[in-house]
Amino acid sequence: MATVDSSPGGVGSPGSVFDSAAYHRARTVVLAVLSVAVIGVLLAWPAITDYYSYNASYYNGIVASAAISAILTISLNLSMGYGGMLSMLHSGLQLAGGYATGYLVVKLSGSWLLGIAASVAVGTVVAMLVLLVSLRATYLYFGMITLAANLIVIEVGREWESVTGGIVGVSGIAPKLGDEFMSKQAFYYVVLACLAVAYILQRNLVRSGVGRASMAVRESSDTASAMGISPARAKLLLFGVCGGTAGLSGALYALQLGFINPDVGLLDNGIIFFVGLFLGGISTLIGPLIGVGLIAVLVELIKDQARYTTLVLGVLLLVAMMVIPRGVVGTWKASRMGRDRLAEADDETLPDEVPDVVPEVRDVPDGVAALEGSGIVKHFGGVHALDGVDVRIMPGTVHGIIGPNGSGKSTLVSCLTRYHQIDAGQVRIFGEEAPHAAHRVAHAGVTRVFQVPHLFERVSVLDNVLTGMRTRETYSWFGALVRSPSYRRQDRTEREEARELLAFAGLASRADWLASSLSHGQKRLLEVVRAVASRPKVLILDEPATGLTSDELDALGRLCRVLRERGLAVVLIEHNVDFVMGLCDELTVLESGKVIERGTPEKVRNSAAVLEAYLGRPDLVEEAS
Amino acid sequence: MSPEAIIDGLFAGSVYALVALALAIVFQPTRIMNFAQGEAVILGAAVAYQIVALEKLGWAVTLGVTIVLAALMGLLMERMIMLPVRMSGSRYAWIIATLAAALIFQSLFNLGYFDVDALRPNPVVAGGFQVAGITVEWQEALTIVVALAVMAGYDLFLRRSTYGRAIRATAHSSETSVLMGIPVQRIVVLSFVIGAVITAIAGMLAAPVIFVAPATGLMFTIKGFTAAVIGGVGSPRGALVGGMIVGVLDTVVRSVVGGSIGNFAVFAALAVILVVFPSGLFGKPMEAH
Repeated sequence: MATVDSSPGGVGSPGSVFDSAAYHRARTVVLAVLSVAVIGVLLAWPAITDYYSYNASYYNGIVASAAISAILTISLNLSMGYGGMLSMLHSGLQLAGGYATGYLVVKLSGSWLLGIAASVAVGTVVAMLVLLVSLRATYLYFGMITLAANLIVIEVGREWESVTGGIVGVSGIAPKLGDEFMSKQAFYYVVLACLAVAYILQRNLVRSGVGRASMAVRESSDTASAMGISPARAKLLLFGVCGGTAGLSGALYALQLGFINPDVGLLDNGIIFFVGLFLGGISTLIGPLIGVGLIAVLVELIKDQARYTTLVLGVLLLVAMMVIPRGVVGTWKASRMGRDRLAEADDETLPDEVPDVVPEVRDVPDGVAALEGSGIVKHFGGVHALDGVDVRIMPGTVHGIIGPNGSGKSTLVSCLTRYHQIDAGQVRIFGEEAPHAAHRVAHAGVTRVFQVPHLFERVSVLDNVLTGMRTRETYSWFGALVRSPSYRRQDRTEREEARELLAFAGLASRADWLASSLSHGQKRLLEVVRAVASRPKVLILDEPATGLTSDELDALGRLCRVLRERGLAVVLIEHNVDFVMGLCDELTVLESGKVIERGTPEKVRNSAAVLEAYLGRPDLVEEAS
Repeated sequence: MSPEAIIDGLFAGSVYALVALALAIVFQPTRIMNFAQGEAVILGAAVAYQIVALEKLGWAVTLGVTIVLAALMGLLMERMIMLPVRMSGSRYAWIIATLAAALIFQSLFNLGYFDVDALRPNPVVAGGFQVAGITVEWQEALTIVVALAVMAGYDLFLRRSTYGRAIRATAHSSETSVLMGIPVQRIVVLSFVIGAVITAIAGMLAAPVIFVAPATGLMFTIKGFTAAVIGGVGSPRGALVGGMIVGVLDTVVRSVVGGSIGNFAVFAALAVILVVFPSGLFGKPMEAH
């Protein structure tokens, strides 16, 4: 590999060799060769051990057990890393899956394939039930509920002797091929195949709209709802998949070791998965595999002192959290040697043409408001935040809602989009009663952008925009898992469209950056782009102009005008009066939860009531002075 | 069901209440629900078992050793948990760190007492007395009284002393407290130490009656947590009420239905309570971590 002294290969690339194109090419090659080598060794492992050792089955068993642990750790990674759901249920899910296979294979003498299917089903059902119970629980409580559920699974295992064999458990679980017992070597390949399937499922899920929806819910369920994503559904789906994967690993565990007993579900057995996940790197695809691999080696090294395993793993976990908080993979990715090359930011000129991906609303019957609230009342305790507000927003207009601080502007938006339940009044979208859940309102075509930036900071700019397209995706979660043709088609068009939209907003060169690395103004712009990507009919922007530079203001104004031309209704909640007056067709002025004026900017500018609300009574001021 | 079951329940409840109180003490300044808290119960029980049952020394020695060792455990826990939490910055850090600490202590107890089923020393005061035809063991009565005294004492400390006010301020906002000149770091350490000592005393008193095995620490944590959730995290009185509810529910169901159904009842109650009241029964909504 090149040293720092040799001249960098890339032309005009400043800094170290680690940023040069040659280094990145070399790195890709080396990593690819390494992966192929590891896969090759794993495939040839039974042959290797057969050749070098008298104890081949022992060493095969170690790798197979590690692979089974890796499957469970992948499941844990999906739920904790990508879904933000802290699960302490995973060893319990493995136990439940193991029981399903054990019962089927031993007690019903069914086939082991049926056993695996049953385990996946049992794992999925248990996980979904626990999630349904804890849907409303906050983060901490979710962890506690899963821990309690884990103990319940173990207790059930101890008590339900007819199925689980009580404390002793079920033994003699062995896979059969026809009438013969399957050899351990053959089963080794079954385990390896299952690991490959689990890894590919994880990758496909994370990269699809289903995974993006889960990550959106992890970051903020409010924002996810504004994108039309149902937080409950996204969680249920992801945790169900996690449960199924964990059940699979339970089935393999039982088949590999030949027994299953309640101790499998204990947390000190489960700690190995946490250590693997944190050591390898949470929220990374390959992290779980690397982490579990390292632990397998470690456990093998200290096998003569097996009593100390839990102690060593616990200490290792604490040390890993302090030294490499992002795990091996995360630390590598953040290092100079491991980081990805990003496009240089250039301040490109904005294209004049409006890309076709900007949504259009046509064929709206005349006189029907795009979004209409009538008689909206909202109390917070004794405070009348909104006191009978009427507002009509016509398609093809930019509608401003202004008013002094605390006049109820943001509350009105939250009521119109069903983030707050209203105490009285009605909300209609194109003449129809608005649905009652926030994410359904987004489905009906009303998308909002929040007052403070609500970006998904830890994913790329492009992924942020893609998340906005979730409502349009028609492929099922299963289609995403297996990358069906329809999924591939949609994914390709989505990515093209997202890049076009970003180019239109002047963010094209930053598409692969992390959203957190953008400036404040760019973040706001990106949020609007993300909202536009959901193809809304009504777009509500809550104080988008705050903290923008004049250039960014121009870009925002231009975007609003384009959307108006396309027939959308744009609602602006704003303090910047110049910006609003120049852009809006119609204004609604709120004060203390009541509408005090509505009409064209001209009319509002000259209204005595508005002047009074903002400046006090001018006549009184003059008298006093 | 015998009336003794109620007394047993109140006794177990006062143990859970003390764990719940300790959980709340640590939670308030740190916003950490300490999964390792129950390990201090095992420490107390192990010390009592070691000194009373094996070394045949008295309870006075036991109390002294328990307090010293528990204080050390509290100091150690603070380092083991707070250091990784500060250095990692992950939002899972606290839960993983406390879990790791719990398993480390658990494996230490397992190593030390691998041939012991139950850490059971002789009671402080043997025998019992009769009240209205119900037999109450002295050990049970003593534990309940100690629990009540600790609760009341901590309540007073929290409300009347300067240090108690500082703790309450830190519970509201540790950042503002730093600006007000409150030594937040010292309060965090202190809360870990106080929590560990209280929990260890509960374990020491419980061991002669309740089943305490070297690996049952997490179970005590969860029951204490359930008690804290029912009573609302934060107030000693809430912890007391919650602990009693959990204890009586557990013991009564156990004596009526039998076996380990008691655990089911407690976990099911926890699940139901969290489903119906996502922020606890009496508690203020606890912010999402």
